[in-house]
Amino acid sequence: MTFEPKIVGFLCNWCSYAGADLAGTSRIQYPPNVRVIRVMCSARVDPTFVLKALREGADGVLICGCHPGDCHYSEGNYKTLRRYQLLKKTLSSFGIEDDRVRLEWVSASEGQHFADVVADMTEKVRALGPSVFNTAKQEQPQPVHQEATR
Amino acid sequence: MEEVRIGVYICNCGTNIAKVVDCEAIRQSLSKMPNVVVARTYKYMCSNPGQEMIVENIRKHDLNRVVVAACSPRMHERTFRKALQHAGINPYFFEMANIREQCSWVHEDPDAATAKALAVTRAAVLRVAHHEPLEKLYADMCPSTLVLGGGIAGLSAALELADADHQVFLVEKTDRLGGNLARVDLTAPHLYSARDLLTDRITRVREHPKIQVMLESELKNLSGFVGNFTALVGPVKGNGNAPREQSMEVGSVVVCIGYKEFDAGRITHYGYGKLPNVITSFEFEKMLREGKIQTKEGRIPQYFAIVHCVGSRSRDYHGYCSRVCCMTALKYAHEIKSALPKSYVSDLYIDMHAFGKGHEDFYLESSEAKTLFLMYGKNEHPVIKRAQPGDDCEMLIEVSEKLSGEEIEIPADVVILMVGMEAQPGADHVARLVNISQDKDGWYIESHPKLDPVATTTEGIFIAGTCAAPKDIPDTVAQARAAAARILGRIARQKIEIDAVFAEVDEDRCSGCRMCNSLCPYSAIEFDEEKHRSKVNSALCKACGACVAACPSRAIKARHFTDEQILAQIEGVLA
Repeated sequence: MTFEPKIVGFLCNWCSYAGADLAGTSRIQYPPNVRVIRVMCSARVDPTFVLKALREGADGVLICGCHPGDCHYSEGNYKTLRRYQLLKKTLSSFGIEDDRVRLEWVSASEGQHFADVVADMTEKVRALGPSVFNTAKQEQPQPVHQEATR
Repeated sequence: MEEVRIGVYICNCGTNIAKVVDCEAIRQSLSKMPNVVVARTYKYMCSNPGQEMIVENIRKHDLNRVVVAACSPRMHERTFRKALQHAGINPYFFEMANIREQCSWVHEDPDAATAKALAVTRAAVLRVAHHEPLEKLYADMCPSTLVLGGGIAGLSAALELADADHQVFLVEKTDRLGGNLARVDLTAPHLYSARDLLTDRITRVREHPKIQVMLESELKNLSGFVGNFTALVGPVKGNGNAPREQSMEVGSVVVCIGYKEFDAGRITHYGYGKLPNVITSFEFEKMLREGKIQTKEGRIPQYFAIVHCVGSRSRDYHGYCSRVCCMTALKYAHEIKSALPKSYVSDLYIDMHAFGKGHEDFYLESSEAKTLFLMYGKNEHPVIKRAQPGDDCEMLIEVSEKLSGEEIEIPADVVILMVGMEAQPGADHVARLVNISQDKDGWYIESHPKLDPVATTTEGIFIAGTCAAPKDIPDTVAQARAAAARILGRIARQKIEIDAVFAEVDEDRCSGCRMCNSLCPYSAIEFDEEKHRSKVNSALCKACGACVAACPSRAIKARHFTDEQILAQIEGVLA
């Protein structure tokens, strides 16, 4: 059986969520691996949301915002970009591969682009296999109480 | 705290959702979740009976939270919030799971689609438990309107609004008003003169004290939100004569930038650009308007051939029907016959689309006027060749006629290509400026194709005319005036409802670090020097949440997008 990664997608309300809706109205097919959470702006995506998603079993996290210059809140996406770069550094030190967490710009008119991003990311995360958090969870035996074993 | 009692409603959307997603399986699975009191499926949750069921359930089961899994919240969140309000509970105790646009319409595998739909609906159930009651906010509605495009749609919308005594800014990128209609001679099926239709309107617009016409201008920037936009309009690039940039406050925008005709040169097999007497419908309109129907060589033509669906209804160019060409072609047959009674007109069509009021009668009249109708196959095409010196015509057209099944050769002196409509080349740029969407063909997308065909998914931005899809003059005018009516309704109410979402600072947690102060693009965060705490001005806050994510003390709360709500949703999609 092929590994089907679970990806959490944080989509900004104004551009990317509308772009994902457009993929729907245009009936553009893409892999069903991304579960979308709507936020008003990609700048709302607290790095802890990404960590939380990875800890809860996500194999990948996709953040989508408006194109630079097109942000509904004028510059929220630039803040997202800066935060994302810091987050990536932290994640790599935890052994989270580069392709697992991704930031993409998707406008409200880019239904096809959204579908392409999801397809590409799904493929790349599938190639990586389950995230370290998930494999660790599976491999670890039932936690044994330290005091009791002594 | 009162007990959380959730009702979950899964919409089949006819077969739109149910054909891929197993709604009943989702219902069964979710009805076992804690706090879920009732779970139902229904064919159309947004219909009156659907909404009534929710209202009735809220009262009967004493529900205080509602989840609807259906289309996009951009489509019906407002509808269901109203239902909650109607049932007497706070409209923000509602969450919508998108299982149509982002699930059933984009996935074919029923198992995978059902699993995804279940995950996002479960996330909505977990999220809604953390929802808090919020009070609606109201903003002033600016009564001025920006109309983009000076064609028949823009003129109609502008007059409707200005006649109601409201300011209109009419922006047109060319140096004249009238749009594509100004290039037309007579209009089908009544054979009214397009010039007559336009002249009166253009004069009224020009002289109207409430309309400011801005020619050779375009929208440069649009900021703000419904009822309170600031538009920047400036000269079209490379134009020195146009006025300087002007900034204006508007409450609504009507986009009616029209269409561009299909470039016949893209189809090589009709010889457009090579054979001198193969012309486009607009070139023929010009001849008609000038009253000079002749070949390039200056001869009076005897044989006319009209070819339908040039660029339309074709797998190689545009798949859609351009709607007006069939009637325009019949109009040409009429005009040719009346100008040159001895001429012969052949009409080469795929299907004759005579769907409008009076159009079928017009078709009948045309066939009685001895027009030769020849049907050719979709994705096949007639072949146009230069005639031999001995022939009494300029060209010969070979067509495989469908109804007789015969290969027919007809003479032609002038071939008129009925070029279809396509989206304006700058339509994508305008879409980005006003934040609306285009479909695969470049047409603007309505808020709802049937029930809300003039609004878009961005509040306060309306569309009218052929920028939304090919349509004829009556439909264009109707849509333009409908957009104006929608705007007038809002202006009459003076206030518009805006989402009660904004950020707020928990003073007890705020350390006064001021990290958030400079982050806010709206300068909505003030610093109280005395208390040494930051404070959000809710009237200025637009709820982006940038400060919320940045606060090191987690002291800022994004109303309706709180950490608890989003974290619950993350758990839900991954459970």
